[in-house]
Amino acid sequence: MSDENIYLTLVKVFAPLSLISIGGGQSIVGDIHHQAVDVHQWLTQGRFIDLFAISRAAPGPGALLTTLIGWDVSGFAGALVASLALFVPSSLLAYLVTRAWHGKREEPWYRWVQAGLAPLATGLILASALTIIRATSGGASPWIIAGVSAAFFSRFHKVNPLPILAIGGLIQVLVARFLA
Amino acid sequence: MSSQSDPTLPPPASFHAPSLAELALPFGKIGISSFGGGLSAWVYREMVDARHWITEDEFLGAVTMSQILPGANIVNLALQIGFRLRGGIGSVVAVLSLLVPPMIVVILLGIALTSIGHIDWLHDFLEGLAATAIGLSASVGLRSARRSLRMGWWPSLLSLSVIIGVFGLQWPIVPVIFGLAVCGLFIARVKIRG
Repeated sequence: MSDENIYLTLVKVFAPLSLISIGGGQSIVGDIHHQAVDVHQWLTQGRFIDLFAISRAAPGPGALLTTLIGWDVSGFAGALVASLALFVPSSLLAYLVTRAWHGKREEPWYRWVQAGLAPLATGLILASALTIIRATSGGASPWIIAGVSAAFFSRFHKVNPLPILAIGGLIQVLVARFLA
Repeated sequence: MSSQSDPTLPPPASFHAPSLAELALPFGKIGISSFGGGLSAWVYREMVDARHWITEDEFLGAVTMSQILPGANIVNLALQIGFRLRGGIGSVVAVLSLLVPPMIVVILLGIALTSIGHIDWLHDFLEGLAATAIGLSASVGLRSARRSLRMGWWPSLLSLSVIIGVFGLQWPIVPVIFGLAVCGLFIARVKIRG
């Protein structure tokens, strides 16, 4: 890590990601991992996976992973700075668009803008999924658990995910204890 | 359609805009009780069904917009509804009440994890949980990839380009997405005559 101010670095990492996070927070998790673990080496692979799991099991949007990383890097001030860097740029843009568009009728451009950007969101979500699973401790079991989970939720997408997440965690504990 | 579903008209005379505190309450509730996605269904229940603050049409328009724009969809949705009900300050109150309570929870969980220290089975548990969450996230991507097939081959090709560029070649994400966004918007504009 360089001598550069840590808060400035957090802003430089998260603010650009804020503006390309089409499709929501889960589309940029892969790059958050890349920046936090590979580029800036704020945390280890294992620690990243722990924090990622917490952000998924906790309430609120998954983008709160950023809050956790900021906190891990530099305490409460880090959490605050990282969160602001992630949420303010996209919110400012959304606010300006909302204000400009408020009260106007739905226009046809909605349709083609959404059609043109949706495939990027889809690609980012899948690329992030692959990046994170590659960051797990290795072995086949996380890949198999993720694959089975993807198949399950593709079919039963209205199921409350929380108990299923807990079952996935328990399976990995059993695998590590008895099969590894 | 009734005038109530027309967002260009002012709300009916019987409509009382909620106070800022009244606005904060349901968004705080949604933020703290929402687990693992599906948050927009909660917003629908609170805003359209339970309180009649916005119409179904307004809700659907806001959802579409929240998906087009960058940023967490639920945050963009709260921002738009807050604006619709109370203007700019409404946006700020809705987003903060949505985010601050779960932020506190997530940091408390981080502190708890750190103070426990490294325990093998706990890390294994979190790793299995993370893998399951990745599957959940991938299922969202897979379903939208399947839906996009009815528009032809080009959406899948764009998605695949993102995966190859960002995951395969590990190119920087910002230029990859901006470049492909230009392609995507161009193709969609040609294919879909608006």
